[in-house]
Amino acid sequence: MPYPESSAEPQAPPPTIRLLFFAWVKIGFTSFGGGAVSQYLIQESFIYKRKWLSAEEYANIIAMSQIAPGINLIANAILIGKRLAGWPGILVSLVGFVLPSAAITVGISAIYAEFSALPRVQSALATAFAAIFGISLATNWRNAGPIFAGNRKRGPAAFGVALAIMIGSALVYAVFGPAVVLLYLAGGLCGAFAYRHSAGKKRKD
Amino acid sequence: MNWLLFFWVVLKAVLFSTGGFGPLPSLHADFIARGWASERQFTEALAIGQITPGPNGLWVASLCYLVAGVPGAILSCVALLLPPLSILIVQLVYARIADRAATQGALDGVVLVIVGFNVMVLARLFFGNGADLRLVAIAVISAALAISRRVSSVVIVAVAALVGFVFG
Repeated sequence: MPYPESSAEPQAPPPTIRLLFFAWVKIGFTSFGGGAVSQYLIQESFIYKRKWLSAEEYANIIAMSQIAPGINLIANAILIGKRLAGWPGILVSLVGFVLPSAAITVGISAIYAEFSALPRVQSALATAFAAIFGISLATNWRNAGPIFAGNRKRGPAAFGVALAIMIGSALVYAVFGPAVVLLYLAGGLCGAFAYRHSAGKKRKD
Repeated sequence: MNWLLFFWVVLKAVLFSTGGFGPLPSLHADFIARGWASERQFTEALAIGQITPGPNGLWVASLCYLVAGVPGAILSCVALLLPPLSILIVQLVYARIADRAATQGALDGVVLVIVGFNVMVLARLFFGNGADLRLVAIAVISAALAISRRVSSVVIVAVAALVGFVFG
């Protein structure tokens, strides 16, 4: 399978506040399937369709978003808004993304409790979740793709380290169930040492 | 309802946690102890947060609506929006060290952990709820359609839900 497109693609000029707001409103209204689908639509809109951000830039934004307290996707929206349109960008991103999705969430809460026990509703939830799981596999593939592409250029050792961080952290989590923050810390340190090492080697060559 | 106390309980839970499900333990302890919510309202809110648009963390808004109506939902949204703003401080630090190779390595390392961890958590939920061949097929087809970018995600989720409803 080909790696997702990288920053070699031409990038579009930054959006106007209006365009940015409506890009978020669309995601806020249509991201049925929760956070996994929101992430997919953010990639879809900002990287692939409108090319306002490169895949690498976006990967940096999601990594940073893990550090703030609260919902990571909201920190994500704050950073994207700031990057594309400064402080007003933050405001329109938050309002455009959270207001519609929170309104729909509250609306469905009002209806859901009435029908949640019906077997057909339960079955629909199970199949919808299967689709959400599939979409989130695609989202994660697109997040990791540019990183693996970059590390293939750094050489087989760097590629191996990247693969080990991804699979290793999943296995450590599955077996020992440590606090996720510790996993981020370990993965971040491994990545920092690996990149510093390969950058140092390049300078010597 | 003492709204100031209500707001503080939610804000505290969001401020001292990370991720959409992070506030769960703290909210659970406070809401149950004060008699504001039942166990069932928690499971319902968590399920709703996964289906409806936006972050899964909006399950908090669903819960607050179920226990305190529209004013509760609005207060919870404010409590959800404030703590992530501290990301701007993180970004200031990042701007100073962005050009070092190790910084990019650290960020890429974190993304790789997120990817491995996300897939593992979702896979556990998926197979833990008794995934059969039919559900695995839906997941694989959805992943392929999402990667191909030919069908919008709303259509993928809606068709999957419809299949479940009709053949359920």
